[in-house]
Amino acid sequence: MSNFKENNMGGDSLHGKCHDKKFAVINPTRMCQPMGAVQAMMGLKNAMPLIHGSQGCATYMRFQLIRHYREPIEVASTSLSEKTVIYGGELNLLKALKNISEKQNPEIIGVMSTCLTETIGDDVNGMIKKFKDVNIGKNLPAMVSIPTPSYAGSHVEGYDKAVLSLIKHFARKMIPNNKINIILGNLSPSNLAEIKNIMKDLNVEPILLTDASENLDAPLTEETLELHKFGTSLEELRDTANSNATISVTKHNDSGAKYLEKVFGVKSISGSMPIGIKNTDAFIKSISDAMNVSIPKKIIRDRGRLSDVLVDAHAYNYRRKVAIFGDVDMVIAMARFTHEMGMIVEVLCVGTESPRFKKDLNELIDDMNHKPIVLENKDLHDFGMVLESNPVDLIIGNAYGAQIANRFNIPLFRVGFPIFDRIGAQRISFIGYNGGIKFVDAITNTIIDFYYDEEGYKFADKKLSFDTQSFETHI
Amino acid sequence: MPFKLFDIDKEIPERKKHIYVKDEHNCEIDCNKSTIPGCMTERGCALAGGRGVITGAVKDAIGLVHSPVGCQYYTTGVKRYPSQPQLPNGEIFPIDNFNLKYSFGTDLKEANIVFGGMKKLKEAIIEANKECPFASAIYVNSTCTTGLIGDDVDAICKEMTEKIDKDVVAFNTPGFSGVSQSKGHHITNDAVFDRLVGTKEPPNTTQYDICLIGEYNIDGDLWVIEKYLTEMGLNILSRFSGDASHDELCWMQRSKLNLVRCQRSATYIADLIEEKYGIPYKKVDFFSCEYCSDNLRMLGRHFSLEEESEAVIEKYYGKVKEELEWYKEQLTGKKVYIFSGGPKSWHLSIPLEKELGLDIIAVASQFEHSDGYDKMKARVKEGTTILDDPNSLELEEMILESKPDLILAGIKEKYLSYKYGVPAIQIHSYENGPYIGYEGFLNLAKDIYNNINAPVWKLMEFKTE
Ligand code: SF4
Ligand code: SF4
Repeated sequence: MSNFKENNMGGDSLHGKCHDKKFAVINPTRMCQPMGAVQAMMGLKNAMPLIHGSQGCATYMRFQLIRHYREPIEVASTSLSEKTVIYGGELNLLKALKNISEKQNPEIIGVMSTCLTETIGDDVNGMIKKFKDVNIGKNLPAMVSIPTPSYAGSHVEGYDKAVLSLIKHFARKMIPNNKINIILGNLSPSNLAEIKNIMKDLNVEPILLTDASENLDAPLTEETLELHKFGTSLEELRDTANSNATISVTKHNDSGAKYLEKVFGVKSISGSMPIGIKNTDAFIKSISDAMNVSIPKKIIRDRGRLSDVLVDAHAYNYRRKVAIFGDVDMVIAMARFTHEMGMIVEVLCVGTESPRFKKDLNELIDDMNHKPIVLENKDLHDFGMVLESNPVDLIIGNAYGAQIANRFNIPLFRVGFPIFDRIGAQRISFIGYNGGIKFVDAITNTIIDFYYDEEGYKFADKKLSFDTQSFETHI
Repeated sequence: MPFKLFDIDKEIPERKKHIYVKDEHNCEIDCNKSTIPGCMTERGCALAGGRGVITGAVKDAIGLVHSPVGCQYYTTGVKRYPSQPQLPNGEIFPIDNFNLKYSFGTDLKEANIVFGGMKKLKEAIIEANKECPFASAIYVNSTCTTGLIGDDVDAICKEMTEKIDKDVVAFNTPGFSGVSQSKGHHITNDAVFDRLVGTKEPPNTTQYDICLIGEYNIDGDLWVIEKYLTEMGLNILSRFSGDASHDELCWMQRSKLNLVRCQRSATYIADLIEEKYGIPYKKVDFFSCEYCSDNLRMLGRHFSLEEESEAVIEKYYGKVKEELEWYKEQLTGKKVYIFSGGPKSWHLSIPLEKELGLDIIAVASQFEHSDGYDKMKARVKEGTTILDDPNSLELEEMILESKPDLILAGIKEKYLSYKYGVPAIQIHSYENGPYIGYEGFLNLAKDIYNNINAPVWKLMEFKTE
């Protein structure tokens, strides 16, 4: 049943015609920069994110991360208050660095700025230097400043900036390591694990930027928690300068790769996210080219199994209209995959705007021979309004899409961040051939649950074009 | 040595006076102070206390956060305070749970930071009103950034109120004001009082009119209390602010008695109303059967509805009594920490011991003030650890030192506790609430019992035989 009661008050309303609104954002689809940076920090070994600002930002981000992953997650804050805002946040930052160094003693502290400290104009690098100067001779953690003012960009840029800052800070030319750097973006632990599996199959050793696969899907061990024991290590960050190439599987996260190319001559490859057949093919091929390895039978068999499930599932999925919202690179790759499944990509919605997205989109449109409605730099309210006049059978997106799906009485297939209303956000898989198989299984079953009867047959139309009874008596 | 310095805190001796192990000296606990930078505090900001707790619960007002996108994003769909679409004038608000489903913001960009965000705020108010002409009011929250750049949100809201002929209310809640979400409560109480209370008249009044203040309807808590109160013959004229309509806030001055449920976040407005309009208030507590019965009886006496209140008590207590006794038998002696956001630690400590047999060995609060800690001290036995603004490192050390059987806390502590093999349930928002009143207390008991007795806790070790 629709949640939208008929508007009995007249005039244009939330579910009336679409206003061209420009100033207000209603239910945003993008988060702020420090969040993306914190997500990147989650994949580091022995590291602590510290948000320089009022404590609300850190607590809110922590809360979102915790309810998504259902894991304990620590994000420190410099807890600025009224007075410190007037005089600058230096004392607070110094104190926080001291506390974290002494109490948790991580190898790396990543200091993210916020809108507040950016507006005040705090010089975080200078403060870090000061901290080092007064603590000369002590064994201090490496401290990396990650500038993340949120009034520019979104969490996607935040992730990008964190990786760039880490690489800039740590990368050192040593001897070639014959590895490949892979910049990932905020992917679920299961998706990250699948990237690692592919690398194992290809016999390539990767440096993942960053690897949250163990940290955010941790077992219940009754052990002390302390800092994350897994993930990308400081040594690996240093070693990124010595790899054969860097692949950015989210194109919008390739600043670090570009830096490595410019400064250390490490080739930068930005590809599409390896979701679905074509994109995964391209990903595997670019690694095999860059690393000069052949593609093993195992991978070809996995690919064959994905084709197999696409065929098996096709009868349920073809011509289903789908609407997808979320982060740019995921949305575009997911659109291609659902197209490969035989669905019709009807509406795409992203909270940001970028030339790269436009370019990818044009390629996709050429391949699909169909033009979806695309909302760039829009919010979920706009998305819902468009669905009002362009009905779809399925929405793909994060938990904030639930009320829209509910309103149109269609299923929401949950991917992305945050997902706080279902269990297992860590284990959502769609990367690579194997992730693709799990994805097709899950999404097809969602469609069957919703549009088919308990025996898996399509709900019979009430008004059949022939008279059943007479039909039965005739046989 | 009544104060306790955790090992993990040895470098920050300031923490010592925030942690007190109750003894005969009744020492004063340090509280309501700025968090020490770099501690893994659980505290939030004034915006969280204002919009997150109070105004976000109002069912028919647009909540507009004047900020870069993050502050708005993180306050969307965070608290579970459902609302019903019925308005006091009998009309049905066109979108149910509007307060949960919609959040508005100005999404400030760099240029707005440099040149000010006032123009954009104005346009956003007009646009929001155009999108939702049926909304009764617009509540605008300022945040760190807009507080810092000095946007005069008050002036704009005043101007816009006239322009769109609808209450546009400014809540100046930059996250840096105060030391925790507590300041946001205070600011919001003051703003509602200054700007709204006394501006409207209720359609009709009775001699049994009350305001239920400081109840936010987490998981339907308010509806439980409302049911009891209405059945005994009282009329809830206004709620502050769970399931409240905007208009109700504007006629709180017509109540005959104000009931203050959450005394940390809402006593301010009850004081202000008493001072200006002479309406008395009572602090009430409906957590647990005993407190619930005591308070219903008190209200019965106050309004000469003794029989009615007894009937309600009998009806609802009767339904849960036997089952609760069974839970008490099962739970007696289990050691528990209560880590609440505000005052739930002292609301629950005695009931959990007396009515469920639990043994409270630690209580904590993120943002209580000294009056709250006095109550906390008075309501626990000697040897109990009392913590102000605890952080996760301290919680870890405590668990290692004296592993409890259960932790009642927020989501941030819950998953930490699980990793140590300690059962935990959420009491900020709930697992399977409501938790208030008789049936709520039974829900709580059920959640506690089942969490402690989840089969998985016995399967932790890999046994080969
Ligand atoms: S910027 Fe300020 S108001 Fe916004 S979430 Fe952070 S602390 Fe709270
Ligand atoms: S102030 Fe900036 S960094 Fe903090 S939550 Fe708001 S948008 Fe994000």
